[in-house]
Amino acid sequence: MALPGLAYLLVYLASLCSVAAICYSFYAKSRRTSTRLGLDRLAALTRDEVRRLASGDLVFLMHLSIAAGIGVSIAEVVLIPVLPLVPLLRLALLLLSLPVIAGLVAAIGWRVERLRASKRVESALGAPAAFSSASTVVQGVLMVAIAFTTLELVLAWLQPLVLAGALLSVFRNALVAFYYSAPSVNLISTVGKPLPSMDPPFLLSDVTSGKVDAADIRSGVGKDADFLPGERLSYDSCVEIGACEASCPATAAGRPLSPRVLVRKLSLHSKDPSPTGGPFSVVGEDELWSCTSCGACVSSCPVGVKHLDIIYDLRRDLVARGKLDKEKATMLENLGRSQNPYGFKQEGRGKWAEGLGVRELSSARDAEYVYWVGCVASFDQRAQRVAAAVAKILTKAGVSFAILGSEEMCVGDPARRLGEEGRYQELAYQNIEKLNSYGVKKLIASCPHCFNALKNEYPGFGGKYEVVYHTQLISDLIREGRLKVPPEKVSAISVTLHDACYASRYNSVFEEPREALKASVSDLREMKRRKEKTFCCGAGGSNYWFKVPEQTSIAGIRTAEAAETGAKAVATECPFCLSMLEDSAKVSNSGLEVRDVAEIVADSLA
Amino acid sequence: MRIAVCVKHAVDEAELKAGSDGAPVLAGAACKMSTFDKNAVEEALRLKSAHSGEVVAVTAGPADARRTLKEALAMGADRGVIVGTDAPSADTSRTAGLLAAAVRKAGPFDLVICSEGSSDTYSGQVPPMLAEALGVPYVGYARKLQVDGSVARAERLLEDSVEEVEAPVPLVVSVVSEINEPRYPTLIQIMQASKKQVEEYSQDQLGVPTRPASVRVTHMAMQTSNRKRVTVEGSPEEAASRLVQALEREGVL
Amino acid sequence: MEIGRLREGVRARSKLLLKGPGGDDVLPGEAAEAVFRAASSLRPSVILLGATRNGRETASRLAAKLGWRCASEVSKVTAKAGELAAERSVYAGKVVASVACALPAVATVKTGSYQRSDAEGGTVEEADVGAVDGAVRLLSRKKKEAGGPDLKKARVIVSAGRGVKRKEDLPLLEGLARDMGGALGCSRPLSSDLGWLPEECHIGLTGVTVKPEVYVAVGISGQLQHIAGMKDSKIVVAINTDRSAPIFQASDYGIVGDLYQVVPALRKALAARKGPAPAA
Repeated sequence: MALPGLAYLLVYLASLCSVAAICYSFYAKSRRTSTRLGLDRLAALTRDEVRRLASGDLVFLMHLSIAAGIGVSIAEVVLIPVLPLVPLLRLALLLLSLPVIAGLVAAIGWRVERLRASKRVESALGAPAAFSSASTVVQGVLMVAIAFTTLELVLAWLQPLVLAGALLSVFRNALVAFYYSAPSVNLISTVGKPLPSMDPPFLLSDVTSGKVDAADIRSGVGKDADFLPGERLSYDSCVEIGACEASCPATAAGRPLSPRVLVRKLSLHSKDPSPTGGPFSVVGEDELWSCTSCGACVSSCPVGVKHLDIIYDLRRDLVARGKLDKEKATMLENLGRSQNPYGFKQEGRGKWAEGLGVRELSSARDAEYVYWVGCVASFDQRAQRVAAAVAKILTKAGVSFAILGSEEMCVGDPARRLGEEGRYQELAYQNIEKLNSYGVKKLIASCPHCFNALKNEYPGFGGKYEVVYHTQLISDLIREGRLKVPPEKVSAISVTLHDACYASRYNSVFEEPREALKASVSDLREMKRRKEKTFCCGAGGSNYWFKVPEQTSIAGIRTAEAAETGAKAVATECPFCLSMLEDSAKVSNSGLEVRDVAEIVADSLA
Repeated sequence: MRIAVCVKHAVDEAELKAGSDGAPVLAGAACKMSTFDKNAVEEALRLKSAHSGEVVAVTAGPADARRTLKEALAMGADRGVIVGTDAPSADTSRTAGLLAAAVRKAGPFDLVICSEGSSDTYSGQVPPMLAEALGVPYVGYARKLQVDGSVARAERLLEDSVEEVEAPVPLVVSVVSEINEPRYPTLIQIMQASKKQVEEYSQDQLGVPTRPASVRVTHMAMQTSNRKRVTVEGSPEEAASRLVQALEREGVL
Repeated sequence: MEIGRLREGVRARSKLLLKGPGGDDVLPGEAAEAVFRAASSLRPSVILLGATRNGRETASRLAAKLGWRCASEVSKVTAKAGELAAERSVYAGKVVASVACALPAVATVKTGSYQRSDAEGGTVEEADVGAVDGAVRLLSRKKKEAGGPDLKKARVIVSAGRGVKRKEDLPLLEGLARDMGGALGCSRPLSSDLGWLPEECHIGLTGVTVKPEVYVAVGISGQLQHIAGMKDSKIVVAINTDRSAPIFQASDYGIVGDLYQVVPALRKALAARKGPAPAA
């Protein structure tokens, strides 16, 4: 009896040591990266996990199972001396482990699938063999950790084999301590933050006021040393889960970008003892331009990697070095010269509203709302019909509003997403000065890129307004009875809604367009990827303005998904989505009609 | 290698508006760096990065032309030279004379790069005239340019042929827009360029006498296009047959 | 050396062939020097050259050597009362300017602004101008792919732009041009950047200026530079996937759609219009 007793003691002590190692490595990592770990961060993390749990995201459930599995397994081992004395606790842990085991088994299946998919992506991208094997190792570690945890949880049921389970957990804990401290710290430090942090690298007002010398400004990352600590932690935290890659529209379309490969390349590069160059020795230009900034990568990453921050900082360096092709350079020049990306004359901006009884703010200062039309709906003939529909709806509902007409400039989003922060801020400051000079309080936007900039970014530059999205306002007006849809006007044509990334994923606006549509359409169908899980149209991140090499078009993938629902029409809520999906519907001969939510509602009004 | 690059503060044709008399309003019209001059600046910068040295942007024009100079500096030119003049753009020989005097004063240079012609008036006279005034060889319409020691080699892009030529430095070269993709200067780089040195030469300093314009513009009329701008709707087949009907109605098929 | 070749179809009272030692590959700098020498003794009032790339250089250098005025890209040229007057297009074709300068003067004449004459005749003289030595040395001269159609005479022009994905797809547009009884042209990138078509096919400010009855812009976005070369067409049709392409603003009829669908549909519609082929 002495030998098993001694073995028990040794294994138990080893377990305690391994748990201590996890705690220490986590603590050390947080110290090294100066990450503040407070109860508020933990509370934020819990809230975020609950939100994701509630959204019923299967991939997330599997990853939660892994975390829970490790937790339960550690508890089972650490509590070995106590459990025989408190049978109820043991039973509780065992019962808790049942759903976790189910989740872990599913996770193993998912891991095998991801491993296969990741190798396909790597070969399509032409990733070097060294990268691929490093990636396989990290994915293998995750699989071993899952497998050992699962085994431990199963063995815990069989009293005689508890010792074997405990041994497995010691090994697993060592892996956790070595591989998963960075992602854990990163998760806690980034939880609750916006998808891209979009912290301005400088304030143009500081330069114009002389507070900062323009010569001292460096924006973007051109050298390894330029990466911010948060960005380093981000790329070092990637443990090859691959959720980003699975949700990335650029990867899906066969563009030269996988968010997983991008951050891993940077991480491996940072560990290279004798690197042959900076970040651009491992990252390609088209790789960076391929990103549509849809945010699916960041939003799906279980450990809070901020791919977008890294992409924007690298793009900024490309812009500063003049690494732009004609389309990109022309768009930026147009923004500088004509204050719109098309290069059209600003006088024509309000032309769409002629004859519609829409007032301009200069002669309607009493207006409650300013309708921020945006460049596309101002100049693009097709999107002008959306602006007209919004105007019709607002007029019918008796909303007091005006437009800025030729006084409105591009909000700056295309410049910022491309990496030309200065041009963006110039436009932002000019727009804010104009809005503030009129004392504007409330804005309506029908372009989600304008909406996002006005709502989330402009406050940082002194522009604080109540910004409402057109689908939000329309659903409010319907609920309040200010817009009436007579039963005979409800459309019987089946419709599916394509959520715009910058409305749904960036700003959690996804119930409102559905409510608005349900009033006007009797047959609303849903695509598999919807709401915060929506799939990009391919235009975001300034991609509307240039071309990137690709195997198939992102819009084409999305149009096929819309067609799969059997719907006859796609409802959009963004002028870029409208243009992308409509062109794609034409090319694919799907016969799908593409219309903005506002157009559908406007047509159904009494 | 020391390179001078000539740039023009040209009327932005896209922003041009007609006055009540149908003539374009040139007083106070929006101006920009002549489109193709960006290719000239880019080529100068490309050669500098290959050979090291200095790139000096030179312009002749009114005070507002400093903005174009600043853009060249923002792209990466090291310093700027402006010859203050209100000589009309049509007076190409005068412009060439002023530029030649400025290039001499700011020089010596191994290479003077111009674009094939300006985006506003597109006469293409200044670069060859500049070469004549400086008394150096001239290679026009280069789509490829390289300098090896004291010899420049270029590929001239003509309407029906491509010529490979070589000439000794110093020389004047004009480039076509096919030669490169000019870089976009960021707003911050434009602000940073304010710190770079810009020298102004007066016509007196250069010793170029004023005289009446050689070519005068006597009248100008804005071309108006009254296109129908009809969008032919429908599926490709429907649109095609509607278009054929429309062209039949127009009597042009 | 011979400066130029005496062309067929040049009607002139007398023709002068300038000769000198050396080969026939004359560069514009040498041509300018030769004409300068001849002009110094002949003392003409006006020297006209074609506004080609070499023509522009020769004219400018000649004017500089002679100390004469130089007018560019002119049409409707008159010379009377000691003054040369002409018209020219400026600001990317948006403005027509009347220009004038005192004689003697050099001018480059916008290509295509005058009909070619078929008349023959006139005397031919030769003059030796001696050796002209340019500092620029010609290493090689390669003809670009030649044999493009004469777009200036075409009644219908179908013009291809960047919307055409591959060179192999050009026959589709050639077919449309044939169906409509016209010729194929292109925008600058296709000839200059991609080299899919010869430079003679390049329609635009820096290429050929055309004015056909029908101009069909296929996959052309409509940069001002291009519009400048076709804006005088009677009817302009545009086919482009990008609804916001500026070409639609410069068109009478526009189809927003993929050229790979629209062009075949258009060819079918044109065939249907002619009715079934007559029986053999």
